[in-house]
Amino acid sequence: MTTKQNLYHSKPAQWAVYGLFFACIALIPTFVTDGFLLNQFAVYGIYGMLALSISLCWGFGGILNLGQGIAFGLAAYGMAMTMQMQSQDPDSNPIPPFMLNNSLEHLPWFWQPFWSTGGGILLALVVPTLFYVVFGTLMFRARVSGPFFAIMSLAMLSAFATLILDMQPYTNGANGLSPPAPLSLFGTDIDPYGKAAYWIVCGGLVAVTVGAKLLTQSKFGLVVQALRGDPERVRFLGYNVALYETCIYAISGFIAAVAGCLWVMLIQYVSPAQLDTTFSIGMVIWAGIGGRLSLLGAILGAFLIQGGQSYLGDQFLATWLLMLGAFFIVVVRFLPKGLAGLLEKILGHAARQPAKHARPEPAGLPAAGE
Amino acid sequence: MDLTRRNLLKRSSLAAAAIAAPHLWLPTAREAWGATLKKGEPIKVGLLFSLTGQLAVPEEDSTLVMQYAIDEINKNGGIAGHPIQPVIVDAKSDFNVYSEKAKELIIREKVIALFGCYTSASRKAILPVVMSQNSLLYYPTCYEGAECTQNTICTGPLANQHSKDLIPYMVKNFGKKVFFVGSNYVWPKESNKNAKIWLQEAGGELLGEEYIPLGSSEFGPVLGKIRDAKPNFIFSTVVGASDIAFHKQFKQEGFKVDAMPIASLTTGEIETKAMGPEFGAGHFLSAPYFQTLDNPTNQKFVESFLKSKYGKNGSTHYNMEETYLSAYVFKAGLEAAIKKTGNIEEVTSRMIRDVSGGVRVEDNVSPEGLIWIDGDNFNTWLKPKIGQCQADGSFKVVSQAAEHVAPDPYSIYPNAGKCTAAGLVAPDGKSRKNVI
Amino acid sequence: MTSLDIAPFANALVLGASIASIWLIAAIGLTIIYGTVGVINMAHGEFIMLGAYTSYALQSFLGLPFLLCLPASFVVVALVGLAIERGLIRYLYNRPLDTLLATWGVSLVLMQGVRLIFGSDPKYIAVPEMFQSNVEVGFASLSVFRLVVIGITALVVAATAWLFYRTRFGMQVRAVMQNKEMAASFGINADRVYMTTFAIGAGLAGLAGSLFGVLAIVLPTMGTAYVVQAFLVVVVGGGTLLGSVAAAGLTGELQSVFAFLTNDTFARFLLYVLIVVFLRFRPRGLFAVAKARR
Repeated sequence: MTTKQNLYHSKPAQWAVYGLFFACIALIPTFVTDGFLLNQFAVYGIYGMLALSISLCWGFGGILNLGQGIAFGLAAYGMAMTMQMQSQDPDSNPIPPFMLNNSLEHLPWFWQPFWSTGGGILLALVVPTLFYVVFGTLMFRARVSGPFFAIMSLAMLSAFATLILDMQPYTNGANGLSPPAPLSLFGTDIDPYGKAAYWIVCGGLVAVTVGAKLLTQSKFGLVVQALRGDPERVRFLGYNVALYETCIYAISGFIAAVAGCLWVMLIQYVSPAQLDTTFSIGMVIWAGIGGRLSLLGAILGAFLIQGGQSYLGDQFLATWLLMLGAFFIVVVRFLPKGLAGLLEKILGHAARQPAKHARPEPAGLPAAGE
Repeated sequence: MDLTRRNLLKRSSLAAAAIAAPHLWLPTAREAWGATLKKGEPIKVGLLFSLTGQLAVPEEDSTLVMQYAIDEINKNGGIAGHPIQPVIVDAKSDFNVYSEKAKELIIREKVIALFGCYTSASRKAILPVVMSQNSLLYYPTCYEGAECTQNTICTGPLANQHSKDLIPYMVKNFGKKVFFVGSNYVWPKESNKNAKIWLQEAGGELLGEEYIPLGSSEFGPVLGKIRDAKPNFIFSTVVGASDIAFHKQFKQEGFKVDAMPIASLTTGEIETKAMGPEFGAGHFLSAPYFQTLDNPTNQKFVESFLKSKYGKNGSTHYNMEETYLSAYVFKAGLEAAIKKTGNIEEVTSRMIRDVSGGVRVEDNVSPEGLIWIDGDNFNTWLKPKIGQCQADGSFKVVSQAAEHVAPDPYSIYPNAGKCTAAGLVAPDGKSRKNVI
Repeated sequence: MTSLDIAPFANALVLGASIASIWLIAAIGLTIIYGTVGVINMAHGEFIMLGAYTSYALQSFLGLPFLLCLPASFVVVALVGLAIERGLIRYLYNRPLDTLLATWGVSLVLMQGVRLIFGSDPKYIAVPEMFQSNVEVGFASLSVFRLVVIGITALVVAATAWLFYRTRFGMQVRAVMQNKEMAASFGINADRVYMTTFAIGAGLAGLAGSLFGVLAIVLPTMGTAYVVQAFLVVVVGGGTLLGSVAAAGLTGELQSVFAFLTNDTFARFLLYVLIVVFLRFRPRGLFAVAKARR
C-alpha cells in the first residue's frame, strides 16, 4: 500500500511542500525592491493567514464562521489604537485628536492600557480571543451548529460593526482610526513599505501555519476532525464536544487577531469596513476556492483571489465580481474541496489508486499541503 | 523636529537597534520614489474614485468630470506646455482597495498628485500613505474639517461654511423650531455641531437630534419622533441611499413640505433624480453650486460638459463642480511652482501644495464664481448658496452669500489650535504636523 | 410613565407592527425555502433586489401600473429562482453549508449582472398618489403605504399557510420535510416539491422587493439591507411559518421600542445581542420542527 500511496497524503511530502512554500515567500524580498509590491505581498500574506484560520475552523472543525471579521476587526482596532497612542504624549498631547473633537476630556479607561505598546498588542490579541471563547461557549453549549451558527456569527459581526459605528467618541465611528505614523517597535519605526514589515508578516504566517499544521496532526486535531463528521458520535464517545468546538473556534479567532494586528501595521488604518459582512464572507471564499481541507490550499486561495482582484480586477472592471461569483459557484458545485482537492484527485490518479482508499486513518480528511 | 514621546523613544534606542538589526533603520528608498516631472513628458495624476459598488453613484461622475477638465486643460495647451495624463483606477467602494490603489498610484505610478475620494472614511484610509510619501491629495468635496495635514487641498465646503447661511435663512422663513436628522457618522455630527452655533445666533430652538445607521432605509421611528416634536423645519445630513428613503417616507407618512421643509446639505440634483422629483420638490439645499446657476461660465460649462462624451448622466451638481475646480486649482498650483523653481523637473508634490495657498480660480473658469485657496489650512474660500428644489428636480437659487466665507477646520475647537501651512499650532505655541 | 408619554409609545408599538411586517415579508420566502428544502439562501437579498428591478423595468419601459407590477415581480423572480434551483441548488441538497456558499456566489453574480444592465445609479418606482399620505386613528399615525405592506404581508401569510396546510401540494411538502425517502416510496416526487418550493420562495422575495422599492430605493445593493434581518427572523422563528410570524412580530416591536427609547443604531445592537442570548436557551428557535436526524 505505502508504495502506491497518494503523494498528497504523504506527511514528508506535505512538509516538503510547506518548506518550499516558506522558502519562496522568504526569498521574495531578494527579488522585489519595489516598496509598493513588498507591502502588497505582505498584505496578501495576511489574507492568507485569515484564509488559514477559516480553514482551521471550517475545514477541520466543520464550523462555518461567517464572522471572522470580529476577531480581525477588534484586533485591528486594538493595534491602531496602540499605534495612535505612540504619537500621543501623556503631558502635552494626551488624547487622540478625534476624541478631542468628540468632546472627550480624558482618555477613556479601556484605552488607557494602550499607552504601552506591549500592553496594547497583548490586549489586541487577548480580547478577541476571549470574546470567541465566551461566544463559542454560549453557542456550542446550546448545540447551535451548522447554518444556524453561520448566521449567528454573521449577526454578531453586524452587531459589532454597528456598535463601533455608534461609539464614535471612542472609535471615531465610520471614519475609523488612521494612526499618523508607522508602528514603532523597540524604538525603530517599522516602515510598512520596507523589508522589516514584510519579514514580520512572513514570520507570522510561517508560525501560524506550522502551528496549525501540527495542531491538525495532534490528538486534539483528530478529535476535532471527527466532530466535523458527526458530533453526536463523538459526544457518545464521551468527549466534551462543546469544549473542543470552542477551542478550535477560539484558536482560529486568535490567528485572525494576529492577522488584524499585522494588517494595521501595514495599512495604518482601520474602519468598521473591516467588520463588513462581505469581507468576512470573502475569507470563506478564499478558503473554499483554495481548499478548506488544506491549510496551504486556503492560503494560496487567498493569494489567488486577491491577486486576481488587484491585477485582473482593473482589466475586467465591470465583470470581475461576475467572474468571481461564477468561479466560486463552479468550485462549490464541482470541487467541494477546492483546488487542493483537485490536486489530491490528480495525484490520486497518478498513484493509480483513488485517494480515499489511500490510508485508513485520516481517510482523505485532514491532509493539508500539496 | 517637534518633541514627542515617540521621538525621544526613537533616539534613545536608535543605537541599540542599529546593532541588532541594521537593515531596519537604513534609509529606505522612500525619497527616491518621490514623484518627479520630466520635461516634455505628460504630467501624471491619479484619479482614485470608485467606479463600481455603492460609492460609484457619486464617484463615477467625479471621474468623468475630472477627465473632462483634463481634456479641456490639455486642449488649451496643458500646463506649461505639458499635457496632463490621468491614471484612472477603480477603488471598488472598498476602503482596503482605496488604500491599495493609493499606494499603487503614489509609489509605483509616481503620480504628482491624487484626485479622489468622496467619503471621509476613504480619505482617512489613504491619508497615511499620502502623508508618509509626502504626496498631494486633492479632496474635491465637502467634509467636516478638524484635520490639519500638510498634504491635502480641499475644494469643497467645510462644516463651518456649509450651513452658515442655511440655518438663519430657514429660521427667518419658517420658524425657530428645528429637528436635526443625520446619518450616524462623523460628518453629520460635526455639521450639526456647527449648525447649533448658527441656530443659537439666529435665535432658533433645537427640538431633537437623531442619527440613522448608514445605509438604513427605515425612517419610521425618526419620523415618529419628529411628528411628536412638531418642528418648523428639519435640518438633514442624511446621505446616500438613506437620504432618498428619508425623503420618500417623509412624504408617504403625510408630512407636508410647505409646513415642514427639509433643509439638507446633501440632497442635490442626482438625489432628487433618483427619488423622483415629486419627493424632492420644495425642500432646500445649501451648496456652493447648482446646475441652474445663472452666469455665463456655468452656462458654458453645463452645455459643453453635457454635450461631451463624459456628460452621459445628463446633469451637473455640486460634487462634480467641486471636482472640476480641483483640476484648475492643481493647474494654478503647478504653474506657480514652475514659476518659482524655473524648472519643471525640480517640482515636487509638496512644493505644489506649498505654493497653492492663495491661488484663485476666476469667474471666467469657475462655474460657481471666484474661489481661492486659504493660505493656512488649504481649504477653499467660497460662497455657499441656498437652492429650493422645483417640481422638475432642478434647483432655484433663493439666496447667496454676499461675501466669501472663510474655511476654518477648527472653528468649533478653539482649544485644539490653529491650522497653519506648517502644521497645527496649539494655543501653547507648540506645532504638530499631520494631525488627522 | 406619564400620560403624555403614552401616545408616542403607543405610536412606537404601531410602527413596530409595520417594521415587523416589512421584516416578515422579507423573511417569508427564506422561511419556506429553509423550512422545506433546508437551504440557507444567501441570494435571498438579491431576489428581493431583482423583484424591485422587475417592477421598475415593467413600470418605466412597459408602463405597467404599480399594482400589476407586484404579481409580475413574483412571477419573474420565481422563474429566476426556478432556473437557479434546476441549474445549481438541486445538486447540493445534501450539503447544507455548500448551498449557503453557492448561493453567496449566486448573489454576487446577480448583483453584478443587474449593475451591468441597469447601472449603479438608483432607480425609483412610482406609486399612485393615494399611497402618498397617512392615516391617523386617535393618537396613532401610519402611512397608507405601510398599511398596504401590512395588508399584503397578511395576505401572503394566509396564502402560504393555505398552500402548505390545506392543499395536496402542502401535504406533499410536509411529507417530504418529515422523511424524504418515505415520501418517495408513496410516490411523491421530492425533487419536484423542492423545485416548486424554491421557486415560490424566490417569487415571494421578488414581491417583497417591489414593495421595498417604493419604501426606499432601487439599487443593486439594496438586498443586503434586508437580508440579515430576514435571516434573524428565520433563525429566531426556527424555520416554520408560524415561528417566522412570531419572530418578526417580536423583533420588529423590540426594534421600534428600543429605537424609541434610545436610537436606531443602538437599538439594532441591543436586538442582535438579545437574539444571541435567546438562542442560548432556545437554539432551535421559537417553534422548531422536529426533524428526523439525517
